[in-house]
Amino acid sequence: MSEEKKTKKTDESAEEVSAGAVKHLDSEFKEHSVAEFFKKNKQMIGLYGKVRTLTMVIHEYVTNSLDACEEVSILPNIEVKIDELGEEYYEVTVTDNGPGISKENVGKAFGKLLAGTKFHRMMQSRGQQGIGAAGCTMLSQMTTGKPTKVITGRGNGKCLTLELTIDPKMNEAKMTNIKEIDKDFRGTAVQAKFKGVLYRDSDQGPLEYLRRTVIANPHAQISFRDPMGQKFTFKRTHNAVPEKPEEIKPHPKGTTVDDILSYCKNTKGRTVSTFLSNDFDRMGAKGIEEVKKRVHFDMNKDPKTLTWEEAEEIVKAFKAIDFIAPTTDALRPIGEDQIRKSLQSIVQPEFLTVLTRKPAVYAGGYPFQVEIAIAYGGSAGKKVNEQTQMEIMRFANRVPLLFDAGNCALTKAIQTVDWKRYDIKDVENAPVTVFVNFISVHIPYTGAGKQAIADEEEVLEEIRLALMQTGRKAGIYIAHKRREAENQQKRIMFYKYIPEICKALSTITKANEDSLKKNMEKMVLTKLKLEEAKEAEEKARVDKVLAADDNSTIVKQKQPKEKPAEKKDDKEKTKK
Amino acid sequence: MCYEVIIMSEKGRRKSKTVDKVSPKEIAGRIEKSAESMVTQINKQQDPEFTTMQRGKSNVVWDEKKGYLELGEKEITRTFLNIAHARKFMQTSMIMAKTQEYLNHNKTASIREIYYELKHTVADTKENTFEGQDESDPIIVDLEHSVDTIREKLNLHANPKGTLYGDITLLDRMHHNDKFNASKLGRGGWSIMSRVEPEEIEIVDSNAEYLLVAETEAIFERLIEEGFPKDNKCLLIGTGGQAARGTRRLIHRVHHELDLPTIVFTDGDPYGWYIYSVIKQGSMALAAHSEFMSVPDARYVGMTIDDVKEYKLESVTERMTEGDIKRAKEMLAYPWFQNKEWQAQLNKALEQKVRIEQQALANKRLDFVATHYLPEKIKNKQFLP
Repeated sequence: MSEEKKTKKTDESAEEVSAGAVKHLDSEFKEHSVAEFFKKNKQMIGLYGKVRTLTMVIHEYVTNSLDACEEVSILPNIEVKIDELGEEYYEVTVTDNGPGISKENVGKAFGKLLAGTKFHRMMQSRGQQGIGAAGCTMLSQMTTGKPTKVITGRGNGKCLTLELTIDPKMNEAKMTNIKEIDKDFRGTAVQAKFKGVLYRDSDQGPLEYLRRTVIANPHAQISFRDPMGQKFTFKRTHNAVPEKPEEIKPHPKGTTVDDILSYCKNTKGRTVSTFLSNDFDRMGAKGIEEVKKRVHFDMNKDPKTLTWEEAEEIVKAFKAIDFIAPTTDALRPIGEDQIRKSLQSIVQPEFLTVLTRKPAVYAGGYPFQVEIAIAYGGSAGKKVNEQTQMEIMRFANRVPLLFDAGNCALTKAIQTVDWKRYDIKDVENAPVTVFVNFISVHIPYTGAGKQAIADEEEVLEEIRLALMQTGRKAGIYIAHKRREAENQQKRIMFYKYIPEICKALSTITKANEDSLKKNMEKMVLTKLKLEEAKEAEEKARVDKVLAADDNSTIVKQKQPKEKPAEKKDDKEKTKK
Repeated sequence: MCYEVIIMSEKGRRKSKTVDKVSPKEIAGRIEKSAESMVTQINKQQDPEFTTMQRGKSNVVWDEKKGYLELGEKEITRTFLNIAHARKFMQTSMIMAKTQEYLNHNKTASIREIYYELKHTVADTKENTFEGQDESDPIIVDLEHSVDTIREKLNLHANPKGTLYGDITLLDRMHHNDKFNASKLGRGGWSIMSRVEPEEIEIVDSNAEYLLVAETEAIFERLIEEGFPKDNKCLLIGTGGQAARGTRRLIHRVHHELDLPTIVFTDGDPYGWYIYSVIKQGSMALAAHSEFMSVPDARYVGMTIDDVKEYKLESVTERMTEGDIKRAKEMLAYPWFQNKEWQAQLNKALEQKVRIEQQALANKRLDFVATHYLPEKIKNKQFLP
């Protein structure tokens, strides 16, 4: 908005332009804005790369489904199908068991770009990234010319089916083929076709995205059928819908001039003073006094008339004043128990340690919280050409971040930890999965792609502390495991040489070979028993340490599965 | 770089070995005793031990009075219940059993043969008893030291190398008691066996006045072609590079049993000079056997750096390699090179960075080495110590 104003001010010819002309210009700007912006700036909103685009589409639909279910406290069951229709041509179908959508709202949800209400809300939410479901509708019609199909029902025997496109000029849904059918279905199913995208079973593909989504949303269950017909089910491990995060008022620290100018448009406060005390966190009478001292305009003026310069003075004042740190109880971490259960079920490690740190604050005004898990052994880590490598799972507000790992503060924090201290020698090639969930009312993304978190000092520090805490526990277990393996090795090693030695010694001395063998074996066992006793002592110590800390679990080894998910092959696995 | 000089006390000396006198039966007895002690230990539930001498630089002592290198006192003990030793312990027991068998049955084998005889897969593993000869060779040396003998007494030998020519009569007890004179075997002379112990090869007699040891086979052949041994009443041994154990043992025996002065002739470079030093004072690797192999009274005739000027060989010198320079610097520090003649020789080589080969003398004339160089230098006693 302010940008617009500025442009008008500096444009000399603007003075001569009549009010009507301005209005015309405005409407023209609006008509082109959304659709044109979308077309020209696909890259900016993360829609580049054929694999990435398909993953983003899945993300949009699944996020919508999760949100819809949680809104009315339904445990989400989501079904995702991807069918290959041709070269780089796919159809995506996502079905949920949510509350269903009314006819009016279908248009809003799938047919109006940037319709979301999530912008500028200080609340932990999934929807801070991406293009929204309407973006998918737009992308589908742009690449295939086909409408998006929606079926939605409220479980009352009646369903609504329709086809939907977006009128780019009006930025509104155009619904056709609207039918009411008799079907007992509760939920929403959306089906859309996309060209110029590509399905891959990779770190950045839809399968991995869904797997991680369930890890960070243990109350959800997602089944998936890939284009080859393989079915995967990621099972629910927690049977309660998470509590809704609270919306909080913005904290003065970290507020920008632009934020103030947009907040003041919607305030109920009649003066700047009441605007500030109503709409900001930790803004008491004393705070208002302090601001008053520092600004050069009348604080009793109508906040809607605040100018850019005045807002700038307010921001400057905010920076100079000490405020109490923001409330942190608005955050909803997944919780140690739930992370443990879902990682056990989906990653199936041998050892697991989980930590949810206490909330902290970055940039002075944003509450955030970090959750870390280290999974070791078993099916932990990722398989790359028969070798196991470290796997880093990043999440922001429970949403998997699959891209731009190198630029992300979460990755950097993990890489700067000295893993050797925790008995993980070659961490890059260790069977380790590191889980990091970063939650905040405002995620500091590095770019519009929204897949990497910026290097906020406090964030890096929190993650590092959490990694050290969990790493230490993992280290105790790994060192113990290693010693156990070494002992086993020793036993085999000593035993295998005994027959040759006894044969040689009995050849020389004519001593009885069998009794020599028995004596030697007995000797080895005695030695190893001594070592085992030491080992047992050590194990008791480890168990005690780990038992005292209920964040860590030693998982009884099950038979390892190739993919940590239920897999039912419909047809022969055919990889491209 | 600096070699640590260890001056041994009277008390610290190794007891003199009676190598020449011990019989195969006695060696077999020593092996059996060692095995018996292991069996006793095992039956007492004690970790069985095998003790041998530590080898290498850190346990080598220069005995100035005797004039050769000796092995120090440091022992190493190998035990079974040590993860780092277990495999070697198995290998040791196998070598012990096999050599005892050779001794009892009066068989001899090359060190490569014993390796092949003992190599097989360890039961229920993918591991071989010996993966290569480089695993069995050191164990053989361990055993030599452990039972205080030399390899030859274990009825083992390495590949033979070295040739003997000249008026000396030998008797081969292992082969029909053949008696032969090494000047009557054609131009090639007698190939020195790797085992030349008295019970196998007896030195009957000789009319020679001294023994000339030459580094290269080419010079050996040149001297025979020129009739040098006959004209100069000498025996000639060609080592073909670094002298093999059998050759060193024969040089030692000829020198001591026939009381012949030994003169060594090598290339004029650190490598050649070290060949001389091994013949004279023994090597670090076989320091324990110096007593039976070294010839502290040996003298060096050439090539020297001074020969270059003396015989106007400037145009046929070669540049020292990096390896030569490094070797020369190391040798400068060895205690047995601490005399002014050799220090001067090494320093001159390092200053001029040149080396001179024996065969460079052919630059004068083919027979120059036989007709002028050696006779003159030997007559005038132009030796290095």
